[in-house]
Amino acid sequence: MKKYKWLKPLLIVLAVSAVIGVGIVTYLLNMPHRDVQSTQTDFGISSKELVDEFLSNGETAYDKYLDESGESKILEVEGEVSKISKDFNEQTVILLKAQGEVAGVSCTFLPGQEDLSQLIKVGQKIKVKGVIRSGANYDADLEMYENVIMEKCDLVTSI
Amino acid sequence: MKIRSIVLALPIIMLATAAFVSPVEKLISQKTHISFFSSTPVEDITADNYKATSTLDTSTGDIVFSVPMQSFEFEKALMQKHYNSKNFLDTKSFPKSKFVGKITNFDEVDFAKDGSYEASVKGTMTIKGESKEVDEKGTITVSGGKVSAESTFEITLADYGITFEKGKPDSNIAKTIEITFIGEYDK
Repeated sequence: MKKYKWLKPLLIVLAVSAVIGVGIVTYLLNMPHRDVQSTQTDFGISSKELVDEFLSNGETAYDKYLDESGESKILEVEGEVSKISKDFNEQTVILLKAQGEVAGVSCTFLPGQEDLSQLIKVGQKIKVKGVIRSGANYDADLEMYENVIMEKCDLVTSI
Repeated sequence: MKIRSIVLALPIIMLATAAFVSPVEKLISQKTHISFFSSTPVEDITADNYKATSTLDTSTGDIVFSVPMQSFEFEKALMQKHYNSKNFLDTKSFPKSKFVGKITNFDEVDFAKDGSYEASVKGTMTIKGESKEVDEKGTITVSGGKVSAESTFEITLADYGITFEKGKPDSNIAKTIEITFIGEYDK
Protein backbone atom coordinates (compact mmCIF):
# COMPACT_ATOMS: atom_id res chain seq x y z
CA MET A 1 0.00 0.00 0.00
CA LYS A 2 2.78 2.30 0.94
CA LYS A 3 4.26 2.37 -2.55
CA TYR A 4 1.05 4.01 -3.87
CA LYS A 5 1.44 7.03 -1.60
CA TRP A 6 1.96 9.31 -4.59
CA LEU A 7 -1.30 8.15 -6.13
CA LYS A 8 -3.63 10.18 -3.93
CA PRO A 9 -2.24 13.66 -4.69
CA LEU A 10 -1.99 12.74 -8.36
CA LEU A 11 -5.64 11.70 -8.46
CA ILE A 12 -6.65 14.89 -6.69
CA VAL A 13 -4.71 17.02 -9.17
CA LEU A 14 -6.24 15.12 -12.10
CA ALA A 15 -9.77 15.46 -10.72
CA VAL A 16 -9.34 19.17 -10.07
CA SER A 17 -7.95 19.81 -13.57
CA ALA A 18 -10.78 17.80 -15.11
CA VAL A 19 -13.36 19.88 -13.25
CA ILE A 20 -11.63 23.14 -14.30
CA GLY A 21 -11.36 21.92 -17.90
CA VAL A 22 -15.01 20.95 -18.12
CA GLY A 23 -15.89 24.26 -16.48
CA ILE A 24 -13.92 26.27 -19.05
CA VAL A 25 -15.39 24.36 -22.00
CA THR A 26 -18.92 24.72 -20.62
CA TYR A 27 -18.37 28.43 -20.08
CA LEU A 28 -17.02 28.95 -23.61
CA LEU A 29 -19.87 27.02 -25.20
CA ASN A 30 -22.49 28.91 -23.22
CA MET A 31 -20.73 32.25 -23.01
CA PRO A 32 -23.38 34.96 -22.97
CA HIS A 33 -23.54 37.59 -25.73
CA ARG A 34 -22.01 40.92 -24.82
CA ASP A 35 -24.57 43.17 -23.19
CA VAL A 36 -24.17 46.28 -25.33
CA GLN A 37 -26.25 48.54 -23.12
CA SER A 38 -24.29 47.83 -19.95
CA THR A 39 -20.91 48.03 -21.69
CA GLN A 40 -19.04 51.32 -21.65
CA THR A 41 -19.52 53.59 -24.66
CA ASP A 42 -16.42 53.91 -26.86
CA PHE A 43 -17.35 57.06 -28.80
CA GLY A 44 -20.00 59.77 -28.65
CA ILE A 45 -20.65 61.31 -32.05
CA SER A 46 -23.34 62.99 -34.18
CA SER A 47 -24.96 61.01 -37.00
CA LYS A 48 -23.61 63.50 -39.53
CA GLU A 49 -20.02 63.24 -38.26
CA LEU A 50 -20.20 59.44 -38.27
CA VAL A 51 -21.54 59.27 -41.83
CA ASP A 52 -18.97 61.82 -43.01
CA GLU A 53 -16.15 59.82 -41.47
CA PHE A 54 -17.12 56.77 -43.53
CA LEU A 55 -17.79 58.73 -46.71
CA SER A 56 -14.50 60.61 -46.59
CA ASN A 57 -12.29 57.63 -45.74
CA GLY A 58 -14.08 54.31 -45.43
CA GLU A 59 -10.98 52.26 -44.79
CA THR A 60 -9.81 54.31 -41.82
CA ALA A 61 -13.31 54.44 -40.39
CA TYR A 62 -13.82 50.68 -40.69
CA ASP A 63 -10.49 50.14 -39.00
CA LYS A 64 -11.48 52.47 -36.18
CA TYR A 65 -14.99 51.18 -35.54
CA LEU A 66 -15.15 47.49 -36.46
CA ASP A 67 -13.76 44.65 -34.41
CA GLU A 68 -12.38 41.40 -35.76
CA SER A 69 -14.45 39.20 -33.48
CA GLY A 70 -17.63 41.13 -34.26
CA GLU A 71 -17.64 43.00 -30.95
CA SER A 72 -17.38 46.35 -32.67
CA LYS A 73 -17.38 49.79 -31.07
CA ILE A 74 -20.25 50.92 -28.91
CA LEU A 75 -21.42 54.38 -29.89
CA GLU A 76 -23.73 57.05 -28.59
CA VAL A 77 -25.05 58.76 -31.68
CA GLU A 78 -26.99 61.99 -31.67
CA GLY A 79 -29.23 62.90 -34.57
CA GLU A 80 -32.59 63.83 -35.98
CA VAL A 81 -35.26 61.14 -36.41
CA SER A 82 -36.12 60.81 -40.08
CA LYS A 83 -38.04 57.53 -40.17
CA ILE A 84 -39.49 55.01 -37.71
CA SER A 85 -40.30 51.49 -38.88
CA LYS A 86 -40.42 47.83 -37.84
CA ASP A 87 -38.29 45.02 -39.19
CA PHE A 88 -39.24 41.37 -39.83
CA ASN A 89 -38.26 40.57 -36.25
CA GLU A 90 -40.75 43.16 -34.92
CA GLN A 91 -37.87 45.34 -33.74
CA THR A 92 -38.16 49.11 -34.04
CA VAL A 93 -35.79 50.70 -36.56
CA ILE A 94 -35.08 54.42 -36.31
CA LEU A 95 -33.21 56.27 -39.01
CA LEU A 96 -31.18 59.24 -37.79
CA LYS A 97 -30.69 61.55 -40.72
CA ALA A 98 -31.07 65.28 -41.06
CA GLN A 99 -32.72 66.79 -44.12
CA GLY A 100 -30.43 67.24 -47.06
CA GLU A 101 -27.96 64.56 -45.96
CA VAL A 102 -27.19 61.70 -48.32
CA ALA A 103 -26.97 58.95 -45.70
CA GLY A 104 -27.93 58.45 -42.08
CA VAL A 105 -27.58 56.00 -39.22
CA SER A 106 -30.08 53.14 -39.13
CA CYS A 107 -30.58 51.99 -35.53
CA THR A 108 -32.34 48.73 -34.67
CA PHE A 109 -33.66 48.83 -31.12
CA LEU A 110 -33.68 46.04 -28.58
CA PRO A 111 -37.17 44.84 -27.75
CA GLY A 112 -38.23 46.99 -24.80
CA GLN A 113 -41.17 47.71 -22.58
CA GLU A 114 -41.98 51.14 -23.95
CA ASP A 115 -43.56 51.70 -27.32
CA LEU A 116 -40.94 53.79 -29.07
CA SER A 117 -43.29 54.92 -31.83
CA GLN A 118 -45.36 56.64 -29.11
CA LEU A 119 -42.30 58.10 -27.45
CA ILE A 120 -40.38 59.32 -30.47
CA LYS A 121 -41.57 61.46 -33.34
CA VAL A 122 -40.07 62.21 -36.73
CA GLY A 123 -38.05 65.43 -36.58
CA GLN A 124 -37.15 64.97 -32.94
CA LYS A 125 -33.52 64.99 -31.85
CA ILE A 126 -32.45 61.93 -29.89
CA LYS A 127 -29.34 60.18 -28.62
CA VAL A 128 -29.04 56.45 -29.18
CA LYS A 129 -26.59 53.92 -27.76
CA GLY A 130 -25.79 50.77 -29.72
CA VAL A 131 -23.16 48.69 -31.50
CA ILE A 132 -21.98 49.60 -34.99
CA ARG A 133 -22.19 46.85 -37.65
CA SER A 134 -21.24 48.58 -40.88
CA GLY A 135 -20.48 52.00 -42.32
CA ALA A 136 -22.00 54.37 -44.84
CA ASN A 137 -20.95 54.35 -48.48
CA TYR A 138 -22.22 55.00 -51.98
CA ASP A 139 -22.97 51.68 -53.64
CA ALA A 140 -22.79 51.87 -57.42
CA ASP A 141 -24.81 48.67 -57.88
CA LEU A 142 -27.63 49.74 -55.59
CA GLU A 143 -27.25 53.23 -57.05
CA MET A 144 -27.80 54.70 -53.62
CA TYR A 145 -26.07 55.62 -50.38
CA GLU A 146 -26.10 52.99 -47.67
CA ASN A 147 -26.67 54.05 -44.06
CA VAL A 148 -24.41 53.33 -41.12
CA ILE A 149 -25.92 50.33 -39.34
CA MET A 150 -26.28 50.09 -35.57
CA GLU A 151 -28.01 47.37 -33.59
CA LYS A 152 -28.96 46.45 -30.02
CA CYS A 153 -29.84 50.10 -29.54
CA ASP A 154 -31.60 51.90 -26.75
CA LEU A 155 -32.57 55.48 -26.19
CA VAL A 156 -30.16 57.54 -24.11
CA THR A 157 -32.04 60.84 -24.14
CA SER A 158 -34.51 62.86 -26.09
CA ILE A 159 -32.90 66.20 -26.65
CA MET B 1 -41.25 81.37 -88.18
CA LYS B 2 -38.97 80.73 -85.22
CA ILE B 3 -41.85 80.45 -82.78
CA ARG B 4 -43.69 78.08 -85.09
CA SER B 5 -40.76 75.72 -85.33
CA ILE B 6 -40.35 75.75 -81.56
CA VAL B 7 -44.04 74.99 -81.10
CA LEU B 8 -43.74 72.16 -83.62
CA ALA B 9 -40.57 70.83 -82.12
CA LEU B 10 -41.88 70.76 -78.54
CA PRO B 11 -44.26 67.81 -78.86
CA ILE B 12 -41.59 65.88 -80.77
CA ILE B 13 -39.04 66.49 -78.03
CA MET B 14 -41.58 65.49 -75.40
CA LEU B 15 -42.49 62.30 -77.22
CA ALA B 16 -38.86 61.40 -77.73
CA THR B 17 -38.09 61.98 -74.07
CA ALA B 18 -41.02 59.82 -73.00
CA ALA B 19 -39.90 57.04 -75.32
CA PHE B 20 -36.28 56.97 -74.28
CA VAL B 21 -36.57 57.72 -70.59
CA SER B 22 -38.79 54.87 -69.53
CA PRO B 23 -40.08 55.32 -66.01
CA VAL B 24 -37.35 54.27 -63.58
CA GLU B 25 -39.05 51.91 -61.22
CA LYS B 26 -36.37 51.19 -58.73
CA LEU B 27 -37.85 49.59 -55.65
CA ILE B 28 -35.86 49.63 -52.42
CA SER B 29 -36.10 47.14 -49.59
CA GLN B 30 -34.66 47.82 -46.18
CA LYS B 31 -37.05 45.43 -44.50
CA THR B 32 -35.28 42.16 -45.07
CA HIS B 33 -34.48 38.90 -43.38
CA ILE B 34 -31.57 36.69 -44.37
CA SER B 35 -30.89 33.53 -42.47
CA PHE B 36 -28.51 30.70 -42.90
CA PHE B 37 -28.72 27.16 -41.78
CA SER B 38 -25.90 24.67 -41.45
CA SER B 39 -26.65 21.12 -40.48
CA THR B 40 -24.20 18.40 -39.46
CA PRO B 41 -24.59 15.36 -37.21
CA VAL B 42 -22.67 17.31 -34.55
CA GLU B 43 -24.87 20.41 -34.45
CA ASP B 44 -27.28 22.63 -36.35
CA ILE B 45 -26.33 26.28 -36.63
CA THR B 46 -28.59 29.14 -37.67
CA ALA B 47 -28.00 32.86 -37.85
CA ASP B 48 -30.29 35.77 -38.69
CA ASN B 49 -29.72 39.16 -40.26
CA TYR B 50 -32.37 41.86 -40.55
CA LYS B 51 -30.20 44.68 -41.94
CA ALA B 52 -29.63 43.92 -45.62
CA THR B 53 -30.55 46.42 -48.33
CA SER B 54 -31.91 45.35 -51.69
CA THR B 55 -33.02 47.11 -54.85
CA LEU B 56 -35.23 45.71 -57.57
CA ASP B 57 -35.64 47.56 -60.84
CA THR B 58 -39.06 46.66 -62.20
CA SER B 59 -38.22 48.08 -65.62
CA THR B 60 -35.08 45.98 -66.18
CA GLY B 61 -35.25 43.09 -63.70
CA ASP B 62 -31.96 44.12 -62.07
CA ILE B 63 -31.76 42.91 -58.51
CA VAL B 64 -29.06 43.79 -55.96
CA PHE B 65 -28.48 42.83 -52.33
CA SER B 66 -25.98 44.31 -49.93
CA VAL B 67 -25.55 42.44 -46.65
CA PRO B 68 -23.75 43.84 -43.58
CA MET B 69 -21.91 40.74 -42.38
CA GLN B 70 -21.57 41.68 -38.70
CA SER B 71 -25.35 41.83 -38.42
CA PHE B 72 -25.65 38.03 -38.40
CA GLU B 73 -26.80 37.04 -34.92
CA PHE B 74 -26.11 33.54 -33.61
CA GLU B 75 -27.66 31.75 -30.71
CA LYS B 76 -24.26 31.22 -29.12
CA ALA B 77 -21.81 34.07 -28.56
CA LEU B 78 -18.80 31.85 -29.23
CA MET B 79 -20.16 30.80 -32.63
CA GLN B 80 -20.67 34.45 -33.51
CA LYS B 81 -17.08 35.26 -32.56
CA HIS B 82 -15.79 32.37 -34.67
CA TYR B 83 -17.95 33.40 -37.60
CA ASN B 84 -16.63 37.00 -37.50
CA SER B 85 -12.99 36.05 -37.01
CA LYS B 86 -10.20 36.17 -39.56
CA ASN B 87 -10.27 32.38 -39.99
CA PHE B 88 -13.89 32.35 -41.08
CA LEU B 89 -15.74 35.31 -42.64
CA ASP B 90 -13.22 38.00 -41.64
CA THR B 91 -16.01 40.54 -41.31
CA LYS B 92 -13.74 43.40 -40.35
CA SER B 93 -11.90 43.21 -43.68
CA PHE B 94 -15.04 42.25 -45.64
CA PRO B 95 -17.90 44.03 -43.86
CA LYS B 96 -20.40 43.52 -46.67
CA SER B 97 -21.43 40.72 -48.99
CA LYS B 98 -23.16 41.42 -52.23
CA PHE B 99 -25.28 39.92 -54.93
CA VAL B 100 -25.72 41.68 -58.28
CA GLY B 101 -28.03 39.93 -60.70
CA LYS B 102 -30.93 39.96 -63.08
CA ILE B 103 -34.28 38.22 -63.26
CA THR B 104 -33.84 36.19 -66.46
CA ASN B 105 -37.52 35.40 -67.04
CA PHE B 106 -38.39 39.04 -66.40
CA ASP B 107 -41.16 39.11 -69.05
CA GLU B 108 -43.14 36.56 -67.03
CA VAL B 109 -43.34 38.82 -63.97
CA ASP B 110 -46.13 41.41 -64.09
CA PHE B 111 -45.40 43.97 -61.38
CA ALA B 112 -48.73 45.67 -62.07
CA LYS B 113 -50.81 42.58 -61.37
CA ASP B 114 -51.27 40.80 -58.04
CA GLY B 115 -49.87 37.31 -58.01
CA SER B 116 -46.99 35.04 -57.22
CA TYR B 117 -44.34 34.64 -59.89
CA GLU B 118 -41.51 32.15 -60.18
CA ALA B 119 -38.36 34.05 -60.97
CA SER B 120 -35.03 32.80 -62.23
CA VAL B 121 -32.18 34.96 -61.06
CA LYS B 122 -28.69 34.94 -62.48
CA GLY B 123 -25.82 36.98 -61.19
CA THR B 124 -22.64 37.33 -59.19
CA MET B 125 -22.37 36.66 -55.49
CA THR B 126 -19.45 38.19 -53.62
CA ILE B 127 -18.61 36.93 -50.15
CA LYS B 128 -15.30 37.56 -48.37
CA GLY B 129 -13.97 39.21 -51.52
CA GLU B 130 -14.54 36.09 -53.67
CA SER B 131 -17.02 36.33 -56.53
CA LYS B 132 -18.92 33.48 -58.08
CA GLU B 133 -21.62 33.20 -60.74
CA VAL B 134 -24.88 31.88 -59.34
CA ASP B 135 -28.14 30.83 -60.92
CA GLU B 136 -31.03 30.48 -58.49
CA LYS B 137 -34.80 30.39 -58.29
CA GLY B 138 -37.00 32.65 -56.26
CA THR B 139 -40.53 33.94 -55.90
CA ILE B 140 -41.73 37.47 -56.54
CA THR B 141 -45.06 38.29 -54.92
CA VAL B 142 -47.13 41.29 -55.92
CA SER B 143 -49.95 42.05 -53.53
CA GLY B 144 -51.90 45.28 -53.43
CA GLY B 145 -49.11 47.08 -55.22
CA LYS B 146 -46.50 45.82 -52.72
CA VAL B 147 -43.67 43.74 -54.07
CA SER B 148 -41.79 41.14 -52.07
CA ALA B 149 -39.11 38.65 -53.02
CA GLU B 150 -38.23 35.34 -51.48
CA SER B 151 -35.59 32.74 -52.20
CA THR B 152 -33.92 29.72 -50.65
CA PHE B 153 -30.69 28.44 -52.08
CA GLU B 154 -27.48 26.74 -51.12
CA ILE B 155 -23.92 27.96 -51.22
CA THR B 156 -20.72 25.98 -50.98
CA LEU B 157 -18.47 27.72 -48.48
CA ALA B 158 -15.23 26.64 -50.17
CA ASP B 159 -16.30 28.58 -53.30
CA TYR B 160 -15.78 31.76 -51.30
CA GLY B 161 -12.55 30.73 -49.67
CA ILE B 162 -14.28 29.92 -46.39
CA THR B 163 -12.33 26.93 -45.18
CA PHE B 164 -11.65 25.71 -41.71
CA GLU B 165 -7.96 25.00 -41.61
CA LYS B 166 -7.60 26.70 -38.27
CA GLY B 167 -10.04 27.09 -35.44
CA LYS B 168 -13.05 24.95 -34.92
CA PRO B 169 -13.12 21.43 -36.35
CA ASP B 170 -14.95 21.43 -39.62
CA SER B 171 -17.18 18.58 -38.48
CA ASN B 172 -19.38 21.23 -36.78
CA ILE B 173 -20.04 23.26 -39.91
CA ALA B 174 -21.59 21.91 -43.09
CA LYS B 175 -19.69 22.32 -46.36
CA THR B 176 -22.86 23.59 -47.99
CA ILE B 177 -25.21 25.90 -46.14
CA GLU B 178 -28.76 26.94 -46.89
CA ILE B 179 -29.54 30.64 -47.26
CA THR B 180 -33.05 32.07 -47.06
CA PHE B 181 -33.88 35.60 -48.16
CA ILE B 182 -37.08 37.61 -47.74
CA GLY B 183 -37.42 41.25 -48.70
CA GLU B 184 -40.33 43.68 -48.78
CA TYR B 185 -39.89 46.50 -51.28
CA ASP B 186 -41.01 50.13 -51.19
CA LYS B 187 -40.97 52.68 -53.94
